[in-house]
Amino acid sequence: MRTTLPLILAFISGIIMVVSFFINPEQKVLGDISQELLIWASIIGGFSFLLGAVSITRVNWRSYKTRRPGWGYNLVTIVGVFMMAIPALWPTSWLPESMASLAGRNAGSVYDWFFLYLATPMSQTMFAILAFYIATAAYRAFRARSSQATLLLITASIVMLWRVPMGEALLRVIYDGLPEIINTYIMAGINMSVQRGIIIGAALGAATFSLRILLGIERTYMGKG
Amino acid sequence: MKIITFLSTLNRRWVYTLVWIAVIIPLLFPMSFKINTTPEVQSLYDAVENVPDSSTVLLTFDLWPNALAETEPMARTALHHLFRKNCNVVTLTTIPLGGPSVAERVTREVAALYDKKYGVDYVNLGYKPNYVSVLRGLATSIESIYPTDNSGTMLSQLPLMHTVKTYDQIAFIFIVADNGIVDNWVSIVNAQFGKKMCAAVTSVMAPKLYAYMGSGQLTGILGGMKGAAEYEQLVHKPGLATIGISIQSLVHFLIIALIGLGNLGFFLERRAKQKEARG
Repeated sequence: MRTTLPLILAFISGIIMVVSFFINPEQKVLGDISQELLIWASIIGGFSFLLGAVSITRVNWRSYKTRRPGWGYNLVTIVGVFMMAIPALWPTSWLPESMASLAGRNAGSVYDWFFLYLATPMSQTMFAILAFYIATAAYRAFRARSSQATLLLITASIVMLWRVPMGEALLRVIYDGLPEIINTYIMAGINMSVQRGIIIGAALGAATFSLRILLGIERTYMGKG
Repeated sequence: MKIITFLSTLNRRWVYTLVWIAVIIPLLFPMSFKINTTPEVQSLYDAVENVPDSSTVLLTFDLWPNALAETEPMARTALHHLFRKNCNVVTLTTIPLGGPSVAERVTREVAALYDKKYGVDYVNLGYKPNYVSVLRGLATSIESIYPTDNSGTMLSQLPLMHTVKTYDQIAFIFIVADNGIVDNWVSIVNAQFGKKMCAAVTSVMAPKLYAYMGSGQLTGILGGMKGAAEYEQLVHKPGLATIGISIQSLVHFLIIALIGLGNLGFFLERRAKQKEARG
């Protein structure tokens, strides 16, 4: 029963969604059921956040309590999670009118302040550091060791030039229509055809995987091989 | 031999310093370059221009805070373009961290410049988990997926949402994203409901979208800082992307120079080894 019931539920839910894809979504019965399932899916998604919050708190609290190496980071993580979550979830009606704007997630709230002045600059800094790594990686690793690597290297350099106005000006010095040729033949030509192949391949893979789940062949989502 | 030793032992800190200089110089001494418009950006601009005035446009903020340098200028310019056309704007996001706050801040800032009122001219629906359900569910009823807006106000209390019930009342979808969500917008919303849409994405995401542009599923693409700068020029609102593109210009040149130098060292070293082996 523990295996059969989830399999039946997955099959019925999946079939409803597949069939409803091909019919008018406003159609009664099937349309209503599929809309209801979509709302459930969104609610279940919300609960997964709750599970995530509980899990991150438990794992980090355990490490902090037992003073494992790096426990300070665990403490910072716990403080960070609650510092952002509590003001965002705090009902505005529980605060005096003059302080009501501090709760919630609107502009001027505590959550927004933390997001704007802590979370955003920190994540942007982490992302910006990539520019330094890319520069050293370009110098140390991007070598023309084979004909394929040489082709990749030349194409990447041309596209990098084309993607900035200064490079585009340089390309126009070589030949006035060169940026347009790059766009037509590299980006909208070779690139597009390769991307189409990847997208179609991935879609076929996703369809096969979905079918395996619907038919109960793929059971890893239940924690079974 | 000296050059080989220099190139093979170049400390990475020198490379970091060069990158830092390439970023700082355009900030201290602003440079301006002629920004030519690519067909993809022109097509996006034309598609937004062709949206009937005063109609409703869905603008998505599917972005994390780390790539805001590229995505925020795109969203900002899109809002200028849409509000100038008197379009009503409904915003939403599929990203929990960042999307709702950025949408709230950026939309309110730009709306204030055009005297647009919240609830009447624009609404921020915010975030709901499980994007596949959200994208598909909005086709049947926006209110069933988003009973309230981002700040918890019931949709029934917002005049704009009295007329906007499903995708049917939305004339165009403008996606601003820094992740693979565009695939879902195309495969769920465009493929099934035929909604016209365009995408403004980070540079790394743009190449993939040429496939959707070629099939006509996307009417235009803004790719990275360059795309954002081109769009700013077309809308006559030069902003952060126009400044940022000069920094990116220098850094791209530096990286190409570093690739060249690295390969020069590699070839010289290989030739020296071959000579040595021949005796």
